[in-house]
Amino acid sequence: MTLTADERWDLIEKISNKVVTFSKFKHTLKDALGELTVKPLTGIPIAIAVLYGFWSVFSSFAGTLCTDGFFVKLFDGHFLPWIQSVFPGKGGWFYYIFVGDPAADNCFEAFGVLTSGLFVAIGVVLPAIFIFYLMMALLEDVGYMPRLAVLIDTIFHKIGLHGYAIVPSILALGCNVPAVTATRILETKKQRFIMMTLLAIFIPCGAQLGIMQEVIPESIGIVLLYLIFGYFLFGFILNKITPGKSPEILIDVPPYQKPLWNNISRKLRMRLGGFFKIAVPFVLFGCAIVNILYLSGTIDWLARVLTPLLTGWFGVPGETVGPLIAAFLRKDLAVAQLSAIEMSKYQMITSVVLVSIYFPCVATFVMLLKEGWKNLLGSLAVLVTVIFLYGGLINVIWKLLGVQ
Amino acid sequence: MKKILLMGNPNVGKSVFFNRLTGANVIESNYPGTTVDYTKGYMKGNSEDFEIIDVPGTFSLEPKDKAEEVAVKMLEEKKDALVICVIDASKIERGLYLALEIIERGYPVVLALNMWDVAEDKNIQIDIEKLKSILNIPVVPTIAISGKGFKEVVLSIKKAASVGVKEIMEKVGEIK
Repeated sequence: MTLTADERWDLIEKISNKVVTFSKFKHTLKDALGELTVKPLTGIPIAIAVLYGFWSVFSSFAGTLCTDGFFVKLFDGHFLPWIQSVFPGKGGWFYYIFVGDPAADNCFEAFGVLTSGLFVAIGVVLPAIFIFYLMMALLEDVGYMPRLAVLIDTIFHKIGLHGYAIVPSILALGCNVPAVTATRILETKKQRFIMMTLLAIFIPCGAQLGIMQEVIPESIGIVLLYLIFGYFLFGFILNKITPGKSPEILIDVPPYQKPLWNNISRKLRMRLGGFFKIAVPFVLFGCAIVNILYLSGTIDWLARVLTPLLTGWFGVPGETVGPLIAAFLRKDLAVAQLSAIEMSKYQMITSVVLVSIYFPCVATFVMLLKEGWKNLLGSLAVLVTVIFLYGGLINVIWKLLGVQ
Repeated sequence: MKKILLMGNPNVGKSVFFNRLTGANVIESNYPGTTVDYTKGYMKGNSEDFEIIDVPGTFSLEPKDKAEEVAVKMLEEKKDALVICVIDASKIERGLYLALEIIERGYPVVLALNMWDVAEDKNIQIDIEKLKSILNIPVVPTIAISGKGFKEVVLSIKKAASVGVKEIMEKVGEIK
């Protein structure tokens, strides 16, 4: 025998009348904190402070302390000269692939699998994602995320989503791969499509953030502004043109909790484990592929063919073809490679934005495919349009501002 | 191998439960919707081994989003499974809604009243013995993050049997 929903609620009421007694509810410090962080008047300043704090810790720990303070010295001062001298076959193609430029004096420019590859993976990206995931786990376990969702709900409604879209969006700042799966908490196909497309195009992953704040610390703010603006601009358009519904939701805000060190460390271990298993091999492999394409002359040929488009439409040098190919494997690698190309500050900003909104990395691509090929095709169509329109628009903005 | 589904509303601690029962590693967070796909793990019981499945959180068996669809599909595919229904002791009504739906479909259920400490903080008292006799299934208060009540959950697995909702309705009328 099964009941209708009404009969079931009736039965539940009877049961709970018999077994549950409510005594006086005490207002605790936890509840007070909970309200302060969710009411707009106090919640929005607190949210800005939290996000600012997040970013400061991220950039000072990963960039200043680990990468500049330790790994740059280790790699450029000791490892690079050592491997340049002991690796056999200087001048040969094997040496070029694994060590790169024998005259390079830093690991960004050498571009060998064992020099730039290892340096980017271990020296730049590892500290970045370590600190990102540590802080992320803290925010998650304390229970701050749903409060952020409540605060940002109104803005997300403008792009056909609701507050909970903050969960995949912030996860994507770590890595786009789990973020694609996390879009399942959204209710309708329309919402999931908008979310997946936006995050694949506009949200840079932790690895990319780490490398960006290492190689273009002075312009990362502008790059992020372009990405955030694009996220909402194209979200707004997608919401208008995608058929389907965007329902309201009631957000369940759980109580604050003291984070458990055990849980945090386990999460960190799992996520870093994933980085070593998937990301590191891709960085090294990507480095090798790009070097092979250089050696075989493919990249020079592509650069010649595509220069009119790259320079004419986007205003960036033809050499950016190499990084754009690498971007398909790993975005962090691509940004590292860009830093070795000579160009103006504005061209650099445009090309970093291009690398970000350009095709999602292979791992994200596979995840999107798993969620359905029709969605993937749709996302790709949006992506190609966005690259040309938005990339071109940025070039136009520079031209109008009179900078090159 | 006997299958156990771990089901419940979003953000009631199913993943913490799962990690404790199986020693596996699934991500736990303090917001609804962390588990959107299912994960399998194994548990050694006293006399037999169990396969345990961490099912995404759902409010009812009429799915509203993709994660809930996964949950309902899991339940329908595993006709002979036992369900450990994890509910938030401080919001018992909405948990019972799902528990009743599962019971009505004929699955044997163990009911875990998780976040017992939160309910105590909020001064909510639940008469476990009464609830047990009304539902006629094992009911265990638990605190997943500290591990309280887990032994009892495991021990009561063999006591779970399917019950008719009609008996529950009769019982709730009789009991004082």
